[in-house]
Amino acid sequence: MIIPVRCFTCGRVIASDYEKFVERVKKGEDPKEVLDALGIERYCCRRMILSHVDLIDEISAYE
Amino acid sequence: MIEKKIFEGNKAELVVSGVDSSFMNSIRRTLLSEIPKLAIDEVIFYENSSPLTNEILAHRLSMLPIPTEMDLFVPKDQCVCEGAGCPNCTLIYTLSKEGPCTVYSGDLEAQRSEFSIKDKDIPITELAEGQRLILEAMATLGTANKHASYQAAFAVGYKNYPVISIDYSKCDLGKTCIDACPPNIIKKEGNRIVIEDIEKCTLCKECENRCEFGAIKVTYDPEKFIFRFETDGALEPEEVLKKAIEMLDKKLESFSSQMFTVEEEKQ
Repeated sequence: MIIPVRCFTCGRVIASDYEKFVERVKKGEDPKEVLDALGIERYCCRRMILSHVDLIDEISAYE
Repeated sequence: MIEKKIFEGNKAELVVSGVDSSFMNSIRRTLLSEIPKLAIDEVIFYENSSPLTNEILAHRLSMLPIPTEMDLFVPKDQCVCEGAGCPNCTLIYTLSKEGPCTVYSGDLEAQRSEFSIKDKDIPITELAEGQRLILEAMATLGTANKHASYQAAFAVGYKNYPVISIDYSKCDLGKTCIDACPPNIIKKEGNRIVIEDIEKCTLCKECENRCEFGAIKVTYDPEKFIFRFETDGALEPEEVLKKAIEMLDKKLESFSSQMFTVEEEKQ
């Protein structure tokens, strides 16, 4: 659906980094390096971003 | 004794010696659950035609990091307004947006500008053409034992200080330990094996298990700890730690004062 505000496990705010991550990976950067550059260290937070499927665009037509 | 303390941005790292793990754990648990923080806990929706339901939006809003000044607010249930909500206990945010757009945390307008949310890029929802979101959100002070949205410190943890001893008479400089070390902290310097940053050691003992000659030994100091935690930007890590110690102090004080006022039960 939409990226969760925080990491489920540790509680770090991750939603604000998701759009930056997607943008930079689309430009051809290595996901590992983008996550490191964004300061997302722990694997709990990294999986939040890596495994997310953003479907909000598809359902936003429905109220 | 605190041997080292680093407060950098939202992160804190301390090296503490001469204490035991129960002491460190009491600080850890206080940090996790007893620090008061502001979080949105009531939302009034005037209009919501967004794809997400009111409940999901309210939950997303509650998880936003609200900049907190602990001395300026009192918990709602202890306030003079008796839970009705007044400027002493409640901070009001308003939001009004019409699509097509993405609603971000930065779109929330705080009643007092010093409390506007610092992290402005958190997406709350998306709005398609013609969809509208108008709401009023109330933030109050609370602690994490009520709800996770009030949690002030994250990834709080401590580990024993590693002690790595190398017996140079047994070592053949075969580099097995260097290749085996996951955090990559063992290095070769001339004809000696040296440990570069011992605080990065995870005590995994991979080097010890791989070495055929038993030249390297990994142990830990039971009375010395590396303590790390983070905040979400709502509070400074130094402030959070100070408050935790204060809360722990208060608890112990009330315990010790009751020691002399509560009567002993006769057996």
